[in-house]
Amino acid sequence: MKKPLLAAALTLGLSLAMAATPPNTLVIMEDADIPTLDPAQAYDSASYEFIENIYETLVTYKGKSVSDVAPLLATSWTISGDGRTYTFTLRQNVKFHSGNPFTCADAEYTLRRDLVTNNSDSGNWYLSDAILGTSSNANDDKSITFAKIANGVKCNAQGQLVLTLPKRDPALLYKLAASNMSIVDKKWAASLGEWDGTEATWKEWIGKDLTDSELSKKPSGTGAYQLVRREANSMVLKAFDGYWGGKPKIENVVWQLVKEQATRIEALKKGDADIASIGPRSSLSQVQGTPGLKVYDGITNNSSTAIFMNENIKDPAILGSGKLDGNGIPANFFADVNVRKGFAYSFDYDRYIKEVQLGKGTKRTMLLPDSFFGYDPNVKTYSYDPKLAEAFFKKAFGGQLWQNGFVLNASYRANSVAAQTAMEILKTNIEKLNPKFKVNLTAKPWSDFLKNSQQGKEAMIIIGWLPDYADPDNFLYTFYSSNGYYFPRSNFKDSLMDSLLEQARQTTDPAKRKALYSQVGNRAYELAPYINVPAGQGFVVYSDKIKGLEENANIMFSGITLSPWKNLTKGSGL
Amino acid sequence: MFAFIIRRLAILPVVLLALTLVIVGLLQFLTPAERAVAYVTNEQQLRNLDKIIRDKGLDQPFLVQYWSWLKEAVRGNLGFSKASNKPVTETIAERFPATLELTLYALVPILGFGVWLGTLAGLNKNKWIDQFARVFAVITYNIPTFVLGILLLVVFYGALGIAPGPGLISSETQVELLINPVPRVTGLLSIDALLARNWPVFWDVLHHLLLPVITLATISTATLIKVTRGAMLEVLSQDYVRTARAKGLPDRVVNLKHARRNGLIPVATLGGYTVIGLLQGAIITESIFGLPGIGSWGVDAAGKFDVPGLLGFALLAGVIVVVASLLVDVLYALIDPRVRFD
Repeated sequence: MKKPLLAAALTLGLSLAMAATPPNTLVIMEDADIPTLDPAQAYDSASYEFIENIYETLVTYKGKSVSDVAPLLATSWTISGDGRTYTFTLRQNVKFHSGNPFTCADAEYTLRRDLVTNNSDSGNWYLSDAILGTSSNANDDKSITFAKIANGVKCNAQGQLVLTLPKRDPALLYKLAASNMSIVDKKWAASLGEWDGTEATWKEWIGKDLTDSELSKKPSGTGAYQLVRREANSMVLKAFDGYWGGKPKIENVVWQLVKEQATRIEALKKGDADIASIGPRSSLSQVQGTPGLKVYDGITNNSSTAIFMNENIKDPAILGSGKLDGNGIPANFFADVNVRKGFAYSFDYDRYIKEVQLGKGTKRTMLLPDSFFGYDPNVKTYSYDPKLAEAFFKKAFGGQLWQNGFVLNASYRANSVAAQTAMEILKTNIEKLNPKFKVNLTAKPWSDFLKNSQQGKEAMIIIGWLPDYADPDNFLYTFYSSNGYYFPRSNFKDSLMDSLLEQARQTTDPAKRKALYSQVGNRAYELAPYINVPAGQGFVVYSDKIKGLEENANIMFSGITLSPWKNLTKGSGL
Repeated sequence: MFAFIIRRLAILPVVLLALTLVIVGLLQFLTPAERAVAYVTNEQQLRNLDKIIRDKGLDQPFLVQYWSWLKEAVRGNLGFSKASNKPVTETIAERFPATLELTLYALVPILGFGVWLGTLAGLNKNKWIDQFARVFAVITYNIPTFVLGILLLVVFYGALGIAPGPGLISSETQVELLINPVPRVTGLLSIDALLARNWPVFWDVLHHLLLPVITLATISTATLIKVTRGAMLEVLSQDYVRTARAKGLPDRVVNLKHARRNGLIPVATLGGYTVIGLLQGAIITESIFGLPGIGSWGVDAAGKFDVPGLLGFALLAGVIVVVASLLVDVLYALIDPRVRFD
């Protein structure tokens, strides 16, 4: 009795142990759950990874470029002379996974649905901003009517999609390339009980949370992969036979949620995952040199991180004495450009790259990813220079600052090692300059940290920005405009900067826009409203059986494969 | 007995009410903004933080928040879990079978190996098997579950390659299920595969559960070894055992019929509570091995301050604790005739 049991146990333990991923299947292991498969609700990279494979947008990014837009479900488009009317000719003979044909009615329905639902958790605000002139939904902005939405998005008699804007928006095509603007199947959605697209029912759907919508449970897109099974920790998708671009080479995609980093690393090393997230750069050494694995390193970072210097601190509690008497700072401490420059010259950029980014980081000239349109590499940058820092601090506040010293209370997000290290580097260098200079650092929970800073209550913080869409306006307006999202945190206001940014928003000529953004970069160097933190480079570890990943990688795609799975093939290794 | 069971089940709503009240009360120590962050997935959404707080009623007084949850809960609507991005009831229905499956398989070595080794140790006091059992129990009891899990994974999966990777099934089986789907009858994949006679899936699930089961069962097995050994030693010194031996009964009959049967009474008590302990262990084990159970969901819900998720998890845990305690009491009364249901 005992022997057969032992044999069974051994068989169980050994028989399948050496299994690798099936040849026609891409196996992905990641640590983040997928919130939704409804494009109208999605606003996170984990959801986008699937949405960009199940659905398609009207336009997309061309190859590896983040500035050139290419046709996808729209084959061509025209822009009226005043820049306010976009007419899209749509692709013919395209089918949804449900079997329904793709028509203009689907594109019209999708964008109208985005504008109607536009809830606080979604990213539809920027489409609303472009088409309705407000980022709010109809509950919060009573000027929004169904007629206004219907006039902004409609099909013409030729079956083309026409978008009419209240004012020019040079970023519109980039906005339409974002994954959350993916086109959904109108008939399918309505049959599942989603909004039917009519005026009679639109009010019931205003601001509705679609995270767990019927469409999220049973998506039907025109994308190359269709969802077959979704369970708590896994998803299985298969190649869509009716895909207009030809059936993709990889037949199945299996995605597994594995929270434990050590487990994902082992799975990758054993060949049980073709690609997996392995955590920070420090864990790269655990997989480097493993036979059968490739590392694609040096991927451009599409975020920008800055140390904010708030020019109007609104919390007396963190000002200490509130005066330049050596025991605190005044609320307008950072309003003096010499203080800001003193800090900018005190940050050791190279040390940050070495210690935090393990040598894989780049200094940027502007708070804009270097691969984006509008980035000017010729704008000057600050370097660590204690002598120059000292010179500027001596000039600040008519010499009073240097003479009396200060106590600055700065914050960073708790548990963020990178943010903590950046702040500690700055603190050390500042305190070395003058024994009367003191910087206190406090780690704060994310919610407190963001809430306080949004109300202008933090003196100095470090925070980043990820793009909603690949237009410079999404970064530069956010950071530098006095109407930008980050203004309450920096209170930086410069009329020339505001004017340049507003002009760039209204300019469709790329050359003119580029020149305007160069001026923005130079002005930012001149006024130093932020310390530009170097951008770390990304990396992906994957099986050498996967081909096409590096050739098609585009940082605007959210998935770990860096482009839709249809671009990949799976072979037999090197 | 029926009246006893009804009486015990009647306390269930009180327990659940107190449990959820405490959780909602404790969560009030967090600011509304801290709780609202559960609904935020990126920096851009923070522009709407105030709206989120307002929409979700996070700035309402404690009892108002609790009441609005409770009146929905009694209608069967436990709210929406941001940790799973699904309604809580749907999450429990989807994930509980996997935890149950893991827990049931873990009970096999705990009850089988634990009782067997504990009995042997008790019967052979101070002999090598007793020494071995004691050392084994001390070592395994003191290895934290998360350390053991990662250690087993790195050694048996990573280094030796004799155990499978994370998840309940391999990617090959995932694909195989597209071709030959297993009808979900019980929700326990191994049992459903067995019913469907789909042997590859059945073996694959068992194979994948091997390391998680060992991880989960180890501490409880050690406890059971110690308790069984102690109970056996105590029973063996009782007068009726001595009398049985004096009557000339063979050792086997005395040990197994008279001694072990009575020695199992405290073991039965502990067995019920072991199920509760396993639920706690499942939280860690599922996270390490990427298993789709309620444990990994509970961790996520706690990390994200997902209030409906936490309350749902607590409700389920409360039901399990009360039902397990009830089963222990029933079992206890059935084993020990001295105990009466009234």
